[in-house]
Amino acid sequence: MSTLDQPQTIVFPVPSGGTQEKPAEVQDIVPAFEAQGVWRLALNVFVQNRLAVVGVGIVVFMVLFCFVGPIFYHTNQTDTNLVNEFLAPSAKHWLGTDQLGFDIVGRLMIGGQTSLEIGIAAALIATVFGVLWGAVSGFFGGWVDNVLMRFVDVMLAIPALFLLLFLAVAFPRNVFTLILVVSVTAWLIPARLVRAEALTLRTREYVQAVTMMGGGGFRIVLRHIIPNSVGTIMVNATFQVADAILLVAAINFLGLGIAPPATNWGAMLSDGTTYIANGWWWLIYPAGIAIVLTVVAFNFIGDALRDALEVRLQKR
Amino acid sequence: MTFRSWRAKSLPAVIGLGAIVLAACGGSSTSSTGAAVTRTTATFAEGPGAQPNYIFPLASLAYFSVSNLSQFQFLMYRPLYWFGTNGQVQLNSSLSLADPPVYSSDGKSVAITLKGWKWSNGDQITARDVQFWQNMVTANKDNWAGFSPGEYPDNVTSTTIDPSNPLKITFNLTQAYGSYFFTYNELSQITPLPQKVWDKESATGAVGDYDKTPAGAQAVYKFLDSQSKAISTYDTNPLWQVVSGPWKLKSMDTAGNIKMVPNPGYGGPIKPTLTEFDEVPFTKDTAEFDQLKSATSVNNATIDWGYIPDADVLQKATLSNIYNFSVWAGWQITYFPENFTNPKSGPIFKQLYFRQAMQDLVDQNTFISKAFFGYGYPTYGPVPTKPSSTFVDSFERTNPYPYSPSKAVSLLQANGWTVNAGGTSTCTSPGTGSGQCGAGIPQGAKASFSLQYVSGTPALDQEMAQFKTDYALAGIAIDLSTAPFDTVIGNATPCKAGSACTWDMEFWGGGWIYAPDYEPTGDELWSCTGSGASVQYAGSDSGGYCDPVAQADILATETSSDVQAMYTYEDYLAKQLPVIWMPVNYAQLNMINKNLKGTQPLDPLLQIYPENWRWS
Repeated sequence: MSTLDQPQTIVFPVPSGGTQEKPAEVQDIVPAFEAQGVWRLALNVFVQNRLAVVGVGIVVFMVLFCFVGPIFYHTNQTDTNLVNEFLAPSAKHWLGTDQLGFDIVGRLMIGGQTSLEIGIAAALIATVFGVLWGAVSGFFGGWVDNVLMRFVDVMLAIPALFLLLFLAVAFPRNVFTLILVVSVTAWLIPARLVRAEALTLRTREYVQAVTMMGGGGFRIVLRHIIPNSVGTIMVNATFQVADAILLVAAINFLGLGIAPPATNWGAMLSDGTTYIANGWWWLIYPAGIAIVLTVVAFNFIGDALRDALEVRLQKR
Repeated sequence: MTFRSWRAKSLPAVIGLGAIVLAACGGSSTSSTGAAVTRTTATFAEGPGAQPNYIFPLASLAYFSVSNLSQFQFLMYRPLYWFGTNGQVQLNSSLSLADPPVYSSDGKSVAITLKGWKWSNGDQITARDVQFWQNMVTANKDNWAGFSPGEYPDNVTSTTIDPSNPLKITFNLTQAYGSYFFTYNELSQITPLPQKVWDKESATGAVGDYDKTPAGAQAVYKFLDSQSKAISTYDTNPLWQVVSGPWKLKSMDTAGNIKMVPNPGYGGPIKPTLTEFDEVPFTKDTAEFDQLKSATSVNNATIDWGYIPDADVLQKATLSNIYNFSVWAGWQITYFPENFTNPKSGPIFKQLYFRQAMQDLVDQNTFISKAFFGYGYPTYGPVPTKPSSTFVDSFERTNPYPYSPSKAVSLLQANGWTVNAGGTSTCTSPGTGSGQCGAGIPQGAKASFSLQYVSGTPALDQEMAQFKTDYALAGIAIDLSTAPFDTVIGNATPCKAGSACTWDMEFWGGGWIYAPDYEPTGDELWSCTGSGASVQYAGSDSGGYCDPVAQADILATETSSDVQAMYTYEDYLAKQLPVIWMPVNYAQLNMINKNLKGTQPLDPLLQIYPENWRWS
């Protein structure tokens, strides 16, 4: 294998159709590119990561549990019944009941729906917005970059939790609001990451070629900059989902979540800690474990995606 | 004026006569747990976020709280008449600064003779000090939270000091009042102030008789108010070193850390035996509970009188080797108002049958047993049922509207509503005739209301969630939301013409504690004058309830000394439901050091008596 002390270059195709010089250290993977394509290779690398497979399994399980589970496990999650409060786990209530008399298993299902919906939707919005913001900033540079990035800097200077609490107080508390509230703070990271990618990509020959052929700036951003940043974007998006679930949990922990009977895992955890001294573990552990498992699962997936989409790591 | 009550998580208690006798025993001893007791100080935990922050007894609404008055000011500045005797709401002559008032035969004047106790600087507490209060409160009534238009201090036309007796003052009144009412609700609000020290307009100015003119009294108030807002200077400001109570301030900071030492010149019957009494602040009750749990013995406890959070009350036994548990019932009722003045929902709330249906859907017993873990008691009317008193009759001790969803449904159906259980009931028979919805309720009107309640209390969250479910049984849809206490209180005022007003129901998590107007006449809650656009509601009539019969009954309680007038009033309002009655949870769940004696019985007015405490 070549070393960095003896640089060599080859030319190989990239997804946008241009060409790019590649360090000799990765020459040996080129045949794989040619034979299987980029995505096939990425998938192969991904599935070789056992933690990633476990992560996918957990996410699939959680989605099925939350969205399909209520079809088979029927509980009343609307009408409060204090007579049934704090019941210990039993055959009737597998994980007991909470302070409002709701069955914990059923509560995990509807709470999980909310957590996943908020997590995924917030990550999606933050990623889309952040990517566009960062790509435009990085590609155009100059005063555009200065203005857009200084705004990002200002937003980053505000403690995220403070901003979240302010927004959560200022607007009605429901799922839609929470999605927007989390998105407002979450888009800054992908914006900076993609901007850094764009600064590099805009100097590549294929971008210059498009420019010379009269291609517009926004076309380059949409057709070349963003597609060539997809690895960074996808990896960050998975982390965004995990972070959003944790942020929503934090907001609920501070008492600014959605109102009952709606709930989410963070709210369940927050409510449960109120009674922590009483030893009612079923109010805390199930929701806590669900949050941890889901967040870790998305992190596993993110790590594996990074490996799979990062060319230099594909041949580990 | 009374305190609007929420969960008063921080207010301590009274001392029994047995403790008074034993208070003379000082020095070290051996505790009941066998450990030698060497302590001479005691520490009291302030309520979560309820640090005292105002020392001047003439307090405005922003400072008119139990934590400022009962826990703090009263320790240094004794009211003219002290209420609270052996755990009952009664005039305590031995702790009062004056002998019992003497009313003229026509009831239009009352003579008060002070006992001649002394201020801490050696000056005698005289009628002039009482007159100083009266002049100050009259000229600055808009800055005093106890002001009630037409009543005290408006109902005192003048004061006269007996030229031959500087300890005697006569109050001349606008009309004849019942002696019980005037003593318990008007004279009870007077706190003599040290005129020879405080009657000045600036720190460097000379003391004079400025209070004898309204302008002068206002200037004096402005000065004293500014000094009272400078918390960090309390311990060095000479104004606050002259006190009438058993304690003097040693130090205090803006966080609420307070240290007091005995006032050797206190004239009362019980002198402090502790060398120091401390109060410590907490922002959250869980932090206070953690500190309670940190104690390993009665002697190294850093809190001697604390409290256990509602949610942790089942853990009280874990601290039983150090603390005694006790519940503290305040002289209070719990309720929340409906907005009778809301143009949309007001006409519905004005229908007695609808209010009855709403009360029928309140399951107070379940709230108490489940949300409060059994530590509460129901409210059935305007007079507190605990502690027992002569004010409450047998009718109010029983529930006129026991929980019955079926009865609520029947009431609605019998009055023109189509009940949609689980959904929203609608008025399908409008009109004012029998079996119709009632005046002002249009066809298709929906039984759907908003209810905003105070945030941050788990028990209240449980209660409200159950409330929403129970109301749905009769098709009364409740839209719950939460807000901080101040927001809820701020919203709960009658609508005014021309201004937006959309609230239906507001619940600040408590109700009303009758202090320092101790006779529960309800004049500040549900009295009103005029009608139509010129109607004037009582200062604390949050929902704008106005009923001529209730008004007449309230007036009768003020002018009659016959307790039957009180019974008539309370029975009527218990049935009329000017508000939705809700269960009371105890003012505080106390945890008191087992070796700290003299803390019982607890004072229902939430006052504390550290001068009676002793270690054994």
